[in-house]
Amino acid sequence: MIYDQVVIGSGISGLVAATILAQYGHRVALVEQAPVLAPVLRGFSRQGIYYDTGFHYSGGLGDGEVLDVLFRYLGIAEKLEKYSFAADRFDTFRDVETQEEFHFPIGREALRDRLCTAFPQEREGIDKYLAMVQQACQAIPYLNLDLEFGQVKPMLGVHGPSLGEVLDQLIGNTALKGLLSMHSLLYGVPPDQVPFFLHASVAGLYYESVHGLKGGGLSLVQAFEQRLDELGVDVFLGQAAQKFSFAANGTLAGVTMADGEVVACRNCVATVHPQVVLDLVPSELLRPVYRRRLENLEETVSALMLYAACETPSQLLQGSNLFLGRLGRPLEGLGGGPLEERPINMAGTAPDDKGPGARGFVAICPAEQDCTARWSGSSLGKRPVEYLRFKEETMERMQCHIERSCPELRGTFKVSAGATPLTIRDFAANPAGGLYGVKHRVGQYNPMARTRVPGLFLAGQAVVAPGVLGGALSGFLTCGQMLGQDQLLERVKACS
Amino acid sequence: MTEQQIIDLINSSLVEEFELDPASMTPDANIYEDLGLDSLDTVDMVIVLEGAFKFKIREEEEIREIRTLGDIYRFVNGKSRQIKRK
Repeated sequence: MIYDQVVIGSGISGLVAATILAQYGHRVALVEQAPVLAPVLRGFSRQGIYYDTGFHYSGGLGDGEVLDVLFRYLGIAEKLEKYSFAADRFDTFRDVETQEEFHFPIGREALRDRLCTAFPQEREGIDKYLAMVQQACQAIPYLNLDLEFGQVKPMLGVHGPSLGEVLDQLIGNTALKGLLSMHSLLYGVPPDQVPFFLHASVAGLYYESVHGLKGGGLSLVQAFEQRLDELGVDVFLGQAAQKFSFAANGTLAGVTMADGEVVACRNCVATVHPQVVLDLVPSELLRPVYRRRLENLEETVSALMLYAACETPSQLLQGSNLFLGRLGRPLEGLGGGPLEERPINMAGTAPDDKGPGARGFVAICPAEQDCTARWSGSSLGKRPVEYLRFKEETMERMQCHIERSCPELRGTFKVSAGATPLTIRDFAANPAGGLYGVKHRVGQYNPMARTRVPGLFLAGQAVVAPGVLGGALSGFLTCGQMLGQDQLLERVKACS
Repeated sequence: MTEQQIIDLINSSLVEEFELDPASMTPDANIYEDLGLDSLDTVDMVIVLEGAFKFKIREEEEIREIRTLGDIYRFVNGKSRQIKRK
Protein backbone atom coordinates (compact mmCIF):
# COMPACT_ATOMS: atom_id res chain seq x y z
CA MET A 1 0.00 0.00 0.00
CA ILE A 2 1.47 3.33 -1.05
CA TYR A 3 -0.19 6.31 0.55
CA ASP A 4 -0.55 9.51 -1.39
CA GLN A 5 0.07 11.39 1.83
CA VAL A 6 1.52 10.63 5.22
CA VAL A 7 0.79 13.23 7.88
CA ILE A 8 3.19 13.13 10.82
CA GLY A 9 1.82 14.41 14.13
CA SER A 10 -1.86 14.49 15.09
CA GLY A 11 -2.08 17.88 16.73
CA ILE A 12 -4.59 20.29 15.29
CA SER A 13 -2.50 21.00 12.15
CA GLY A 14 -2.11 17.30 11.41
CA LEU A 15 -5.81 16.59 11.99
CA VAL A 16 -6.80 19.43 9.66
CA ALA A 17 -4.26 18.47 6.99
CA ALA A 18 -5.23 14.78 7.05
CA THR A 19 -8.92 15.68 6.74
CA ILE A 20 -8.44 18.08 3.84
CA LEU A 21 -6.19 15.69 1.92
CA ALA A 22 -8.64 12.83 2.45
CA GLN A 23 -11.55 15.04 1.34
CA TYR A 24 -9.62 15.58 -1.89
CA GLY A 25 -9.68 11.83 -2.40
CA HIS A 26 -6.08 11.12 -1.42
CA ARG A 27 -5.14 7.95 0.43
CA VAL A 28 -3.91 9.32 3.74
CA ALA A 29 -2.08 7.89 6.75
CA LEU A 30 -1.83 9.83 9.99
CA VAL A 31 1.11 8.93 12.22
CA GLU A 32 1.21 9.78 15.94
CA GLN A 33 3.87 8.74 18.42
CA ALA A 34 1.54 8.96 21.45
CA PRO A 35 -0.83 6.05 22.09
CA VAL A 36 -3.82 8.32 21.35
CA LEU A 37 -4.56 11.02 18.79
CA ALA A 38 -3.85 14.64 19.69
CA PRO A 39 -2.69 14.21 23.31
CA VAL A 40 -2.46 17.94 24.03
CA LEU A 41 -5.80 18.87 22.52
CA ARG A 42 -7.38 15.80 24.17
CA GLY A 43 -6.71 16.84 27.77
CA PHE A 44 -7.20 14.45 30.68
CA SER A 45 -9.62 13.52 33.46
CA ARG A 46 -9.04 13.24 37.21
CA GLN A 47 -11.67 12.21 39.71
CA GLY A 48 -14.44 12.72 37.21
CA ILE A 49 -13.35 16.19 36.15
CA TYR A 50 -12.20 16.82 32.61
CA TYR A 51 -9.26 19.23 32.19
CA ASP A 52 -8.23 20.83 28.94
CA THR A 53 -4.51 20.97 28.29
CA GLY A 54 -4.46 22.55 24.85
CA PHE A 55 -7.72 24.28 24.13
CA HIS A 56 -9.42 26.74 26.45
CA TYR A 57 -11.08 29.31 24.23
CA SER A 58 -10.73 30.65 20.74
CA GLY A 59 -11.46 33.58 18.51
CA GLY A 60 -12.72 33.05 14.98
CA LEU A 61 -15.42 30.52 15.97
CA GLY A 62 -18.41 32.86 15.64
CA ASP A 63 -20.89 31.97 12.86
CA GLY A 64 -19.26 32.76 9.53
CA GLU A 65 -15.88 33.55 11.07
CA VAL A 66 -12.73 31.91 9.78
CA LEU A 67 -12.45 28.89 12.10
CA ASP A 68 -16.19 28.25 11.97
CA VAL A 69 -16.09 28.21 8.16
CA LEU A 70 -13.04 25.95 8.15
CA PHE A 71 -14.70 23.51 10.59
CA ARG A 72 -17.78 23.43 8.33
CA TYR A 73 -15.59 22.61 5.35
CA LEU A 74 -13.88 19.88 7.36
CA GLY A 75 -17.26 18.33 8.16
CA ILE A 76 -16.86 18.61 11.92
CA ALA A 77 -18.85 21.77 12.72
CA GLU A 78 -22.09 19.86 13.24
CA LYS A 79 -20.35 17.51 15.67
CA LEU A 80 -19.32 20.42 17.91
CA GLU A 81 -21.34 22.46 20.37
CA LYS A 82 -19.83 25.87 20.87
CA TYR A 83 -20.77 28.39 23.52
CA SER A 84 -19.97 32.06 23.84
CA PHE A 85 -17.86 33.35 26.69
CA ALA A 86 -19.37 36.00 28.97
CA ALA A 87 -20.12 39.02 26.78
CA ASP A 88 -19.24 41.56 29.45
CA ARG A 89 -16.06 39.84 30.63
CA PHE A 90 -14.51 37.08 28.59
CA ASP A 91 -11.19 37.93 30.20
CA THR A 92 -10.60 39.72 33.48
CA PHE A 93 -7.32 41.27 34.44
CA ARG A 94 -6.86 41.56 38.19
CA ASP A 95 -4.08 43.53 39.83
CA VAL A 96 -2.81 41.26 42.58
CA GLU A 97 -1.81 44.17 44.80
CA THR A 98 -4.80 46.49 44.56
CA GLN A 99 -7.42 43.90 43.52
CA GLU A 100 -8.40 46.41 40.84
CA GLU A 101 -9.96 44.70 37.84
CA PHE A 102 -10.48 45.34 34.18
CA HIS A 103 -13.06 43.28 32.30
CA PHE A 104 -12.53 42.70 28.58
CA PRO A 105 -15.96 42.66 26.92
CA ILE A 106 -16.63 40.90 23.62
CA GLY A 107 -16.94 43.26 20.64
CA ARG A 108 -14.58 45.96 19.46
CA GLU A 109 -16.99 48.83 20.22
CA ALA A 110 -17.70 47.60 23.73
CA LEU A 111 -13.99 47.16 24.35
CA ARG A 112 -13.27 50.63 23.02
CA ASP A 113 -15.87 52.19 25.30
CA ARG A 114 -14.63 50.38 28.35
CA LEU A 115 -10.98 51.19 27.66
CA CYS A 116 -11.86 54.86 27.07
CA THR A 117 -13.85 55.01 30.31
CA ALA A 118 -10.95 53.52 32.26
CA PHE A 119 -8.28 55.60 30.49
CA PRO A 120 -10.00 58.79 29.25
CA GLN A 121 -6.67 60.52 28.59
CA GLU A 122 -5.69 57.79 26.13
CA ARG A 123 -8.76 57.92 23.92
CA GLU A 124 -6.81 58.78 20.79
CA GLY A 125 -4.21 56.05 21.30
CA ILE A 126 -6.91 53.48 22.05
CA ASP A 127 -8.73 54.29 18.82
CA LYS A 128 -5.54 54.10 16.81
CA TYR A 129 -4.52 50.82 18.44
CA LEU A 130 -7.89 49.19 17.76
CA ALA A 131 -7.89 50.48 14.18
CA MET A 132 -4.41 49.04 13.64
CA VAL A 133 -5.46 45.68 15.08
CA GLN A 134 -8.47 45.55 12.78
CA GLN A 135 -6.42 46.60 9.77
CA ALA A 136 -3.83 43.93 10.50
CA CYS A 137 -6.50 41.21 10.77
CA GLN A 138 -8.01 42.26 7.46
CA ALA A 139 -4.63 42.22 5.76
CA ILE A 140 -3.84 38.67 6.87
CA PRO A 141 -5.16 36.50 4.06
CA TYR A 142 -5.76 33.47 6.21
CA LEU A 143 -7.95 35.47 8.56
CA ASN A 144 -9.75 37.33 5.82
CA LEU A 145 -10.93 34.68 3.38
CA ASP A 146 -11.98 37.37 0.91
CA LEU A 147 -8.38 38.21 0.13
CA GLU A 148 -6.70 36.30 -2.65
CA PHE A 149 -3.81 34.04 -1.77
CA GLY A 150 -1.77 35.73 -4.48
CA GLN A 151 -1.64 38.73 -2.21
CA VAL A 152 0.03 36.76 0.55
CA LYS A 153 3.32 38.30 1.53
CA PRO A 154 5.49 35.69 3.17
CA MET A 155 7.05 36.48 6.51
CA LEU A 156 4.47 39.03 7.59
CA GLY A 157 5.75 40.68 10.70
CA VAL A 158 9.35 39.53 10.59
CA HIS A 159 10.51 43.12 10.09
CA GLY A 160 8.33 44.45 12.88
CA PRO A 161 7.13 46.66 14.34
CA SER A 162 6.79 44.83 17.62
CA LEU A 163 3.73 45.16 19.83
CA GLY A 164 5.91 47.04 22.32
CA GLU A 165 6.96 49.59 19.69
CA VAL A 166 3.39 50.19 18.59
CA LEU A 167 2.15 50.63 22.17
CA ASP A 168 5.05 52.98 23.00
CA GLN A 169 4.13 55.09 20.02
CA LEU A 170 0.41 55.29 20.73
CA ILE A 171 0.00 55.12 24.48
CA GLY A 172 1.63 56.83 27.44
CA ASN A 173 -0.08 55.09 30.34
CA THR A 174 1.91 52.07 31.54
CA ALA A 175 -1.12 50.35 33.04
CA LEU A 176 -2.94 50.52 29.73
CA LYS A 177 0.10 49.20 27.88
CA GLY A 178 0.18 46.30 30.31
CA LEU A 179 -3.50 45.54 29.77
CA LEU A 180 -3.21 45.60 26.00
CA SER A 181 -0.20 43.30 26.08
CA MET A 182 -1.78 40.91 28.58
CA HIS A 183 -2.68 38.51 25.79
CA SER A 184 1.01 37.89 25.12
CA LEU A 185 0.51 35.11 27.68
CA LEU A 186 -1.51 33.39 24.95
CA TYR A 187 1.44 33.13 22.55
CA GLY A 188 4.39 33.18 24.95
CA VAL A 189 6.44 35.99 23.41
CA PRO A 190 7.14 39.24 25.29
CA PRO A 191 5.68 42.49 23.85
CA ASP A 192 9.06 43.90 22.82
CA GLN A 193 9.69 40.82 20.63
CA VAL A 194 6.33 39.81 19.21
CA PRO A 195 5.42 41.20 15.78
CA PHE A 196 2.42 43.49 16.07
CA PHE A 197 0.92 41.43 13.24
CA LEU A 198 0.98 38.24 15.26
CA HIS A 199 -0.40 39.94 18.35
CA ALA A 200 -3.20 41.46 16.28
CA SER A 201 -4.06 38.11 14.70
CA VAL A 202 -4.49 36.53 18.13
CA ALA A 203 -5.88 39.35 20.30
CA GLY A 204 -7.84 40.97 17.44
CA LEU A 205 -9.98 37.89 16.94
CA TYR A 206 -10.82 37.75 20.65
CA TYR A 207 -12.04 41.32 20.37
CA GLU A 208 -14.66 40.09 17.87
CA SER A 209 -15.94 36.84 19.37
CA VAL A 210 -14.89 34.40 22.05
CA HIS A 211 -16.05 30.79 22.16
CA GLY A 212 -15.37 27.58 23.97
CA LEU A 213 -16.57 24.08 23.13
CA LYS A 214 -18.84 21.98 25.31
CA GLY A 215 -16.73 19.01 26.29
CA GLY A 216 -13.59 21.06 25.61
CA GLY A 217 -10.71 20.05 23.34
CA LEU A 218 -11.74 16.39 23.72
CA SER A 219 -14.94 17.06 21.78
CA LEU A 220 -12.83 18.50 18.96
CA VAL A 221 -10.57 15.44 18.94
CA GLN A 222 -13.58 13.11 18.93
CA ALA A 223 -15.15 15.03 16.05
CA PHE A 224 -11.94 14.59 14.06
CA GLU A 225 -11.67 10.91 15.01
CA GLN A 226 -15.14 10.31 13.61
CA ARG A 227 -14.42 12.34 10.51
CA LEU A 228 -11.09 10.61 9.78
CA ASP A 229 -12.88 7.31 10.14
CA GLU A 230 -15.62 8.37 7.70
CA LEU A 231 -12.93 9.42 5.24
CA GLY A 232 -10.97 6.16 5.56
CA VAL A 233 -7.78 7.72 6.89
CA ASP A 234 -5.45 5.08 8.36
CA VAL A 235 -4.20 6.09 11.80
CA PHE A 236 -0.92 4.72 13.16
CA LEU A 237 -0.66 5.26 16.91
CA GLY A 238 2.08 4.73 19.45
CA GLN A 239 4.94 4.92 17.01
CA ALA A 240 7.27 7.74 16.20
CA ALA A 241 8.42 8.46 12.68
CA GLN A 242 12.21 8.07 12.59
CA LYS A 243 13.49 8.93 9.13
CA PHE A 244 12.30 9.66 5.64
CA SER A 245 13.37 7.20 3.01
CA PHE A 246 13.95 8.04 -0.63
CA ALA A 247 13.81 6.18 -3.91
CA ALA A 248 16.92 5.85 -6.08
CA ASN A 249 15.78 8.81 -8.17
CA GLY A 250 15.64 11.01 -5.07
CA THR A 251 11.88 11.18 -4.66
CA LEU A 252 10.28 10.63 -1.28
CA ALA A 253 9.46 6.95 -0.83
CA GLY A 254 8.21 6.65 2.71
CA VAL A 255 8.50 7.19 6.40
CA THR A 256 10.50 4.71 8.45
CA MET A 257 8.85 4.09 11.80
CA ALA A 258 10.47 3.30 15.16
CA ASP A 259 10.00 -0.45 14.64
CA GLY A 260 11.66 -0.31 11.24
CA GLU A 261 8.45 -0.63 9.26
CA VAL A 262 8.24 1.74 6.30
CA VAL A 263 4.99 3.53 5.59
CA ALA A 264 5.31 4.04 1.85
CA CYS A 265 4.10 7.37 0.50
CA ARG A 266 4.49 9.97 -2.22
CA ASN A 267 4.14 13.08 -0.09
CA CYS A 268 4.44 13.93 3.54
CA VAL A 269 3.18 16.73 5.77
CA ALA A 270 5.35 17.00 8.89
CA THR A 271 3.55 18.89 11.65
CA VAL A 272 6.23 18.19 14.24
CA HIS A 273 8.54 20.70 15.91
CA PRO A 274 11.17 22.05 13.46
CA GLN A 275 13.92 20.38 15.51
CA VAL A 276 12.24 17.03 14.89
CA VAL A 277 12.07 17.79 11.17
CA LEU A 278 15.87 17.96 11.20
CA ASP A 279 16.03 14.48 12.75
CA LEU A 280 13.75 13.08 10.05
CA VAL A 281 15.46 14.49 6.97
CA PRO A 282 18.93 13.23 5.91
CA SER A 283 21.10 16.27 6.49
CA GLU A 284 22.59 16.34 2.98
CA LEU A 285 19.15 17.14 1.57
CA LEU A 286 18.96 20.49 3.33
CA ARG A 287 21.17 23.54 2.87
CA PRO A 288 23.50 24.18 5.82
CA VAL A 289 22.01 27.65 6.20
CA TYR A 290 18.46 26.23 6.39
CA ARG A 291 19.45 23.54 8.88
CA ARG A 292 21.09 26.14 11.09
CA ARG A 293 18.03 28.35 10.79
CA LEU A 294 15.76 25.58 12.07
CA GLU A 295 18.24 24.58 14.80
CA ASN A 296 18.46 28.12 16.11
CA LEU A 297 14.79 29.09 16.14
CA GLU A 298 14.03 30.68 19.47
CA GLU A 299 11.49 28.88 21.60
CA THR A 300 8.54 30.42 23.45
CA VAL A 301 8.57 30.55 27.22
CA SER A 302 7.60 27.37 29.03
CA ALA A 303 5.19 27.14 31.96
CA LEU A 304 4.10 25.67 35.24
CA MET A 305 0.50 24.53 35.28
CA LEU A 306 -1.74 23.73 38.18
CA TYR A 307 -4.96 21.77 37.69
CA ALA A 308 -7.48 22.15 40.48
CA ALA A 309 -10.84 20.68 41.40
CA CYS A 310 -13.39 23.15 42.84
CA GLU A 311 -15.36 22.01 45.87
CA THR A 312 -18.38 23.90 44.60
CA PRO A 313 -18.60 24.87 40.92
CA SER A 314 -16.92 28.23 40.36
CA GLN A 315 -18.99 31.08 38.92
CA LEU A 316 -15.87 33.26 38.75
CA LEU A 317 -14.30 31.11 36.05
CA GLN A 318 -17.33 30.08 34.06
CA GLY A 319 -17.03 31.41 30.53
CA SER A 320 -14.51 33.92 31.79
CA ASN A 321 -10.76 33.73 32.29
CA LEU A 322 -8.81 35.46 34.98
CA PHE A 323 -5.38 37.02 34.43
CA LEU A 324 -3.43 37.86 37.55
CA GLY A 325 -0.66 40.39 37.38
CA ARG A 326 0.41 43.87 38.32
CA LEU A 327 -1.02 46.82 36.46
CA GLY A 328 1.65 49.27 35.58
CA ARG A 329 4.36 46.68 35.53
CA PRO A 330 4.90 45.68 31.93
CA LEU A 331 5.29 42.03 31.04
CA GLU A 332 8.99 41.83 30.42
CA GLY A 333 10.79 38.66 29.55
CA LEU A 334 7.93 36.41 30.78
CA GLY A 335 8.84 33.56 33.05
CA GLY A 336 11.68 35.24 34.95
CA GLY A 337 11.85 36.32 38.60
CA PRO A 338 10.23 34.66 41.61
CA LEU A 339 7.10 32.67 40.85
CA GLU A 340 5.10 34.84 43.28
CA GLU A 341 5.72 37.90 41.11
CA ARG A 342 4.91 36.34 37.76
CA PRO A 343 1.57 36.64 36.01
CA ILE A 344 -0.85 33.72 36.03
CA ASN A 345 -3.76 33.07 33.76
CA MET A 346 -6.62 30.88 34.89
CA ALA A 347 -9.29 29.16 32.84
CA GLY A 348 -12.29 27.20 34.12
CA THR A 349 -13.02 23.70 32.86
CA ALA A 350 -15.44 23.43 29.95
CA PRO A 351 -19.14 23.17 30.85
CA ASP A 352 -20.71 19.73 30.90
CA ASP A 353 -24.15 18.31 31.58
CA LYS A 354 -23.67 18.29 35.35
CA GLY A 355 -24.87 21.85 35.97
CA PRO A 356 -23.58 25.42 35.86
CA GLY A 357 -20.22 26.66 37.06
CA ALA A 358 -16.71 25.45 36.34
CA ARG A 359 -15.93 22.24 38.25
CA GLY A 360 -12.22 22.86 38.06
CA PHE A 361 -9.64 25.14 36.54
CA VAL A 362 -6.14 25.33 35.19
CA ALA A 363 -3.70 28.05 36.24
CA ILE A 364 -0.76 28.73 33.93
CA CYS A 365 2.34 30.57 35.06
CA PRO A 366 5.18 31.29 32.60
CA ALA A 367 8.47 29.62 33.58
CA GLU A 368 11.91 29.22 32.08
CA GLN A 369 13.04 25.75 31.02
CA ASP A 370 15.98 26.03 33.40
CA CYS A 371 13.81 25.37 36.42
CA THR A 372 13.59 21.67 35.54
CA ALA A 373 16.77 21.33 33.46
CA ARG A 374 18.43 19.20 36.18
CA TRP A 375 16.01 16.36 35.45
CA SER A 376 15.94 16.66 31.67
CA GLY A 377 17.29 13.11 31.32
CA SER A 378 14.08 11.66 32.78
CA SER A 379 10.87 10.82 30.96
CA LEU A 380 7.10 10.88 31.64
CA GLY A 381 6.16 8.61 34.53
CA LYS A 382 9.84 7.93 35.36
CA ARG A 383 10.91 11.05 37.21
CA PRO A 384 13.35 11.05 40.15
CA VAL A 385 12.13 11.76 43.68
CA GLU A 386 13.80 15.20 43.82
CA TYR A 387 11.87 16.27 40.77
CA LEU A 388 8.60 15.10 42.29
CA ARG A 389 9.42 17.07 45.43
CA PHE A 390 10.22 20.15 43.36
CA LYS A 391 6.93 19.80 41.53
CA GLU A 392 4.95 19.42 44.73
CA GLU A 393 6.59 22.48 46.29
CA THR A 394 6.04 24.47 43.12
CA MET A 395 2.35 23.57 43.05
CA GLU A 396 2.05 24.65 46.68
CA ARG A 397 3.65 27.97 45.84
CA MET A 398 1.29 28.43 42.93
CA GLN A 399 -1.65 27.56 45.14
CA CYS A 400 -0.56 30.22 47.68
CA HIS A 401 -0.07 32.73 44.86
CA ILE A 402 -3.61 32.05 43.61
CA GLU A 403 -5.16 32.14 47.09
CA ARG A 404 -3.47 35.43 47.90
CA SER A 405 -4.59 36.98 44.65
CA CYS A 406 -8.09 35.47 44.69
CA PRO A 407 -9.36 35.56 48.26
CA GLU A 408 -12.74 34.30 47.05
CA LEU A 409 -11.11 31.02 46.02
CA ARG A 410 -9.34 30.43 49.34
CA GLY A 411 -10.06 26.95 50.65
CA THR A 412 -12.45 26.15 47.80
CA PHE A 413 -10.17 24.08 45.56
CA LYS A 414 -7.77 21.16 45.71
CA VAL A 415 -4.77 20.63 43.45
CA SER A 416 -5.39 17.53 41.37
CA ALA A 417 -2.45 17.63 38.95
CA GLY A 418 0.50 19.74 37.92
CA ALA A 419 2.77 20.24 34.94
CA THR A 420 6.27 21.64 34.54
CA PRO A 421 8.43 22.48 31.49
CA LEU A 422 9.46 18.80 31.42
CA THR A 423 5.85 17.64 31.35
CA ILE A 424 5.21 19.99 28.46
CA ARG A 425 8.30 18.77 26.62
CA ASP A 426 7.32 15.11 26.88
CA PHE A 427 3.54 15.39 26.70
CA ALA A 428 3.60 17.68 23.67
CA ALA A 429 6.54 15.90 21.98
CA ASN A 430 8.32 19.21 21.80
CA PRO A 431 12.05 18.70 22.39
CA ALA A 432 12.54 22.41 23.02
CA GLY A 433 9.77 22.49 25.64
CA GLY A 434 8.16 25.89 25.03
CA LEU A 435 4.48 26.20 25.89
CA TYR A 436 3.71 27.48 22.39
CA GLY A 437 6.58 25.85 20.50
CA VAL A 438 8.77 28.05 18.36
CA LYS A 439 8.53 31.81 18.82
CA HIS A 440 7.14 34.20 16.30
CA ARG A 441 9.35 37.21 16.82
CA VAL A 442 10.62 40.22 14.98
CA GLY A 443 13.83 39.32 13.15
CA GLN A 444 13.26 35.55 13.19
CA TYR A 445 12.52 33.75 9.92
CA ASN A 446 10.30 30.79 10.74
CA PRO A 447 10.06 27.88 8.28
CA MET A 448 7.56 27.96 5.43
CA ALA A 449 5.27 25.18 4.25
CA ARG A 450 7.38 24.18 1.26
CA THR A 451 10.82 22.62 1.68
CA ARG A 452 13.64 21.75 -0.68
CA VAL A 453 12.82 18.08 -0.27
CA PRO A 454 10.39 17.19 -3.06
CA GLY A 455 7.13 15.96 -1.55
CA LEU A 456 7.89 17.16 1.98
CA PHE A 457 5.76 19.95 3.39
CA LEU A 458 5.69 21.46 6.86
CA ALA A 459 2.75 22.64 8.94
CA GLY A 460 2.20 23.52 12.57
CA GLN A 461 2.39 26.41 14.94
CA ALA A 462 5.98 27.26 13.95
CA VAL A 463 4.88 27.92 10.38
CA VAL A 464 1.84 30.15 10.97
CA ALA A 465 0.82 30.88 14.56
CA PRO A 466 0.14 29.05 17.82
CA GLY A 467 -3.17 27.95 19.27
CA VAL A 468 -6.01 25.92 17.80
CA LEU A 469 -6.65 28.71 15.32
CA GLY A 470 -3.01 29.15 14.24
CA GLY A 471 -2.45 25.40 14.00
CA ALA A 472 -5.68 24.74 12.10
CA LEU A 473 -4.93 27.52 9.63
CA SER A 474 -1.44 26.18 9.15
CA GLY A 475 -2.82 22.77 8.18
CA PHE A 476 -5.18 24.49 5.75
CA LEU A 477 -2.49 26.74 4.23
CA THR A 478 -0.04 23.89 3.74
CA CYS A 479 -2.71 21.84 1.98
CA GLY A 480 -3.32 24.90 -0.19
CA GLN A 481 0.31 24.79 -1.27
CA MET A 482 -0.01 21.10 -2.12
CA LEU A 483 -3.42 21.06 -3.78
CA GLY A 484 -3.74 24.52 -5.28
CA GLN A 485 -4.57 27.43 -3.06
CA ASP A 486 -7.28 29.06 -5.09
CA GLN A 487 -9.37 25.95 -5.47
CA LEU A 488 -9.08 24.99 -1.81
CA LEU A 489 -9.96 28.52 -0.78
CA GLU A 490 -13.05 28.46 -3.03
CA ARG A 491 -14.17 25.17 -1.52
CA VAL A 492 -13.73 26.48 2.02
CA LYS A 493 -15.49 29.74 1.24
CA ALA A 494 -18.41 27.82 -0.24
CA CYS A 495 -19.10 26.63 3.33
CA SER A 496 -19.53 30.11 4.77
CA MET B 1 35.14 47.47 2.63
CA THR B 2 36.18 47.61 -1.04
CA GLU B 3 33.97 46.32 -3.80
CA GLN B 4 36.25 43.34 -4.27
CA GLN B 5 36.10 42.52 -0.56
CA ILE B 6 32.32 42.66 -0.75
CA ILE B 7 32.31 40.31 -3.75
CA ASP B 8 34.69 37.91 -2.00
CA LEU B 9 32.58 37.85 1.15
CA ILE B 10 29.38 37.24 -0.81
CA ASN B 11 31.01 34.41 -2.74
CA SER B 12 32.57 32.71 0.26
CA SER B 13 29.37 33.00 2.35
CA LEU B 14 27.14 31.60 -0.38
CA VAL B 15 29.59 28.79 -1.21
CA GLU B 16 29.67 27.71 2.41
CA GLU B 17 26.02 28.13 3.37
CA PHE B 18 24.53 26.75 0.15
CA GLU B 19 27.28 24.23 -0.60
CA LEU B 20 27.99 25.74 -4.02
CA ASP B 21 30.96 25.12 -6.33
CA PRO B 22 33.46 28.00 -5.87
CA ALA B 23 34.35 27.79 -9.58
CA SER B 24 30.79 28.65 -10.55
CA MET B 25 30.80 31.96 -8.69
CA THR B 26 31.00 34.41 -11.58
CA PRO B 27 29.10 37.72 -11.89
CA ASP B 28 26.98 36.50 -14.80
CA ALA B 29 26.06 33.21 -13.11
CA ASN B 30 22.28 32.94 -12.88
CA ILE B 31 21.54 32.01 -9.30
CA TYR B 32 18.60 29.82 -10.29
CA GLU B 33 19.76 28.19 -13.53
CA ASP B 34 23.51 28.05 -12.92
CA LEU B 35 23.77 27.82 -9.14
CA GLY B 36 20.65 25.75 -8.59
CA LEU B 37 18.96 27.97 -6.03
CA ASP B 38 15.17 28.20 -6.08
CA SER B 39 12.56 30.56 -4.71
CA LEU B 40 12.64 28.66 -1.41
CA ASP B 41 16.25 29.72 -0.95
CA THR B 42 15.43 33.44 -1.08
CA VAL B 43 14.84 33.75 2.65
CA ASP B 44 18.07 31.94 3.42
CA MET B 45 19.96 34.12 0.96
CA VAL B 46 18.68 37.15 2.86
CA ILE B 47 19.77 35.55 6.14
CA VAL B 48 23.26 34.80 4.77
CA LEU B 49 23.71 38.35 3.48
CA GLU B 50 22.34 39.88 6.69
CA GLY B 51 24.73 37.75 8.71
CA ALA B 52 27.77 38.49 6.53
CA PHE B 53 27.23 42.26 6.27
CA LYS B 54 25.44 42.97 9.56
CA PHE B 55 22.57 44.88 8.00
CA LYS B 56 18.86 44.22 7.79
CA ILE B 57 17.32 43.61 4.38
CA ARG B 58 13.81 44.85 3.90
CA GLU B 59 13.84 45.46 0.15
CA GLU B 60 11.76 42.40 -0.67
CA GLU B 61 10.86 43.67 -4.15
CA GLU B 62 14.51 44.20 -5.08
CA ILE B 63 15.48 40.82 -3.67
CA ARG B 64 12.84 39.11 -5.76
CA GLU B 65 14.25 40.72 -8.92
CA ILE B 66 17.74 39.37 -8.33
CA ARG B 67 18.75 36.93 -11.08
CA THR B 68 22.55 36.81 -11.21
CA LEU B 69 25.41 36.92 -8.74
CA GLY B 70 26.24 40.31 -10.26
CA ASP B 71 22.78 41.52 -9.16
CA ILE B 72 23.62 40.45 -5.60
CA TYR B 73 26.97 42.30 -5.73
CA ARG B 74 25.20 45.46 -6.92
CA PHE B 75 22.46 45.13 -4.31
CA VAL B 76 24.92 44.71 -1.42
CA ASN B 77 27.15 47.49 -2.75
CA GLY B 78 24.15 49.80 -2.88
CA LYS B 79 23.13 48.85 0.66
CA SER B 80 26.66 49.45 1.96
CA ARG B 81 26.84 52.87 0.34
CA GLN B 82 23.42 53.76 1.76
CA ILE B 83 24.55 52.77 5.24
CA LYS B 84 27.81 54.76 4.92
CA ARG B 85 25.87 57.87 3.90
CA LYS B 86 23.78 57.58 7.06
